[in-house]
Amino acid sequence: MATKVSEKQANAEADWRAGLSDDRLRELLYTMTLCRYFDERMEALYRQGRLPGAIYSGRGQEGTHVGVTVALRHDDSLFPTHRDLSAQLTKGLDLKRVMAQFWGRIDGYTRGRDGNSHIGDWRGNKTWTVMSHLPIAYPPAAGAALAYKRRGEPRVAMAICGDGSTSNGRWHEALNVSAIHRLPVVWVVNNNQYAYSTPNQLEMPVPTIAERASAYGMPGVRVEGKDVLEVYRVAHEAVERARSGGGPSLIESISLRWRGHAGHDPAKYVPKELLDEYVQNKDPVKRFQQLLVDKGVVDDEEIKRVEERVHQDFEAGYEFAQSSPFPVGDDVTKGLWVEDGYWSGEPSREGGTG
Amino acid sequence: MAQATVEAGAAGHGAEPRGKRTEDGQATYLVAIAEALWEEMERDDRVFLLGEDIGVYGGAFKVTEGFIERFGAERVMDTPIAEETIVGMSIGAAMEGLRPVAEFQYADFMTSGFDEIVTAAARYHYRSGVPIPIVLRAPSGGGVRASSFHSENPEPWFSYAPGLKVMCPAFPEDAKGLLKSAVRDDNPCVFLEHKWIYRRIREHVPDDPDFLIPIGRARVRREGDDLSIVTYGMMVHLALEAAEHLEREGISTEVVDLRTIVPLDTQTILSSVEKTSRALVLYESHRFLGTGAEVASVIAEEGFQHLDAPVMRLAPPNVPVPFSPTLEDAYLPQVADIAEAARKLSTW
Repeated sequence: MATKVSEKQANAEADWRAGLSDDRLRELLYTMTLCRYFDERMEALYRQGRLPGAIYSGRGQEGTHVGVTVALRHDDSLFPTHRDLSAQLTKGLDLKRVMAQFWGRIDGYTRGRDGNSHIGDWRGNKTWTVMSHLPIAYPPAAGAALAYKRRGEPRVAMAICGDGSTSNGRWHEALNVSAIHRLPVVWVVNNNQYAYSTPNQLEMPVPTIAERASAYGMPGVRVEGKDVLEVYRVAHEAVERARSGGGPSLIESISLRWRGHAGHDPAKYVPKELLDEYVQNKDPVKRFQQLLVDKGVVDDEEIKRVEERVHQDFEAGYEFAQSSPFPVGDDVTKGLWVEDGYWSGEPSREGGTG
Repeated sequence: MAQATVEAGAAGHGAEPRGKRTEDGQATYLVAIAEALWEEMERDDRVFLLGEDIGVYGGAFKVTEGFIERFGAERVMDTPIAEETIVGMSIGAAMEGLRPVAEFQYADFMTSGFDEIVTAAARYHYRSGVPIPIVLRAPSGGGVRASSFHSENPEPWFSYAPGLKVMCPAFPEDAKGLLKSAVRDDNPCVFLEHKWIYRRIREHVPDDPDFLIPIGRARVRREGDDLSIVTYGMMVHLALEAAEHLEREGISTEVVDLRTIVPLDTQTILSSVEKTSRALVLYESHRFLGTGAEVASVIAEEGFQHLDAPVMRLAPPNVPVPFSPTLEDAYLPQVADIAEAARKLSTW
């Protein structure tokens, strides 16, 4: 199976909406707008010293994150990284609880046991709780897919990592085993061109990540992350192939990491011309907004209304986070073992569990 | 138990693990482990095995010989040589409701899957409330002339990772009962099988399919009054032999077998020390920061008022496990070393 650059990108005009209804497109507009605004505001709060911990901006990569995740059903599972908040929000995670997490509160998804985007919601939205060691979730995604296959369930696991993760042995191990057993899994690489400060050419000797798929006997597709609908189209094809027993696929979605690796990193190693090109010409959020206006799905007024709604939702999330209690310090040893019961109780307004 | 037959462990399903009990119904440690796996797979179809060469070949030590015929290749899954993925797949499958039991060919190779064990499996539940019911089985320990990469005792590494239960049984009965408990436990469990014991020690083992040994309980293997040897794994057998010699010299030795390292049964340890007032902590992991370092600390901190002598440790030095018989014998505590240490302690 040869690697292919997405042929359909050229034919995008023929079905510009990728099969999505106006309502779904409007939902996507809200999600894209939210993800961008969230990223910008959280960075501002971080710089003001009002946000504890760390932030890992996914700005400029929303087309990848939102596009691949929209292709999943509710009971499909998602295994993201710390840069993938846009994917987590798309999967359905609650903005309020996400923000409570950032401020270390009891209502955060980890109840203060982890911070920032190390979030997950397995019971609700089938989303893996993120860990720093990448791609640590790739093998578990194969394991979830193994369970779906064994039980004959029409479900799919999707794992996301960055280009940096493709240098790690686990990335190759997971692709290999998934192909051997034709597991229903989709491997997504958010190629934002930098592993922290290390550019693609120092990460790998081959021109694309997608072509590595052929070594594992699976389809590999390279797509431009600037077009969320094009990413969705490619992801939808891979997800449905997996769901129908066609085995795993690899998707490499190209974007640029607009900001540093984390909030402290000014990313001066990224050439200004490259950054300018992406910010000015390949902004997935602006391009999607413009597309919907051009196609008459929304007008400028509606774009503004969506932005206002996003602002309000962010403020509500912020207020919720600030009013959420800190977890009780004495509970620090609880939750280690299943049988201690900590996680079976709901968070109380005193910061414990009831 | 004399009537226990070669079908023991097969739970009456016709097929059976190929590793068999002896004519009089005794099971080696290895057979007891095979029976535990077999019975749990018969009981619960969510339980499945994965690992290297465990299917047709029956595993590096032949623990799973005969399993693939009974349970099929889906539940006895041969994997590529990819330890991170063996563990990681177990985690993902467990999150989706299966109960994976992964086999490592040697405990030494757990380092090749280390990150998925100590970062992913160990820390997942504390941060998410999602249970990760996996069992990682691995043959550990020295004494079989297998040199540096096939003799490791890695239990301290895993005991240091909060969120993992760690078991090191010394007897067939304990191995069977603890492994069955581990398979039924909702937390990730590291189950270390001492390869020196595999075919060396046999005894009568219950064949009740619901026979369990609780995780986290030590067992006094021999009662005594003059000193306690607190130990586990192969060293239990050496300690029991040393205790026989000491008995003839008039030194009454109690031997406490920890069985589980995490959670540590401090109560049984302290009760024994309260009775004997002297503690020799004997272990096969490295002396420096090995399992016994923690056990000795617990005794010193919580049992100080009962002690008539300083807590003594006996353990291998901090070098890799060597190959040559002269070197490995010098490395591992021997029966004579244990007896000598006990004499010294009893006269302190």
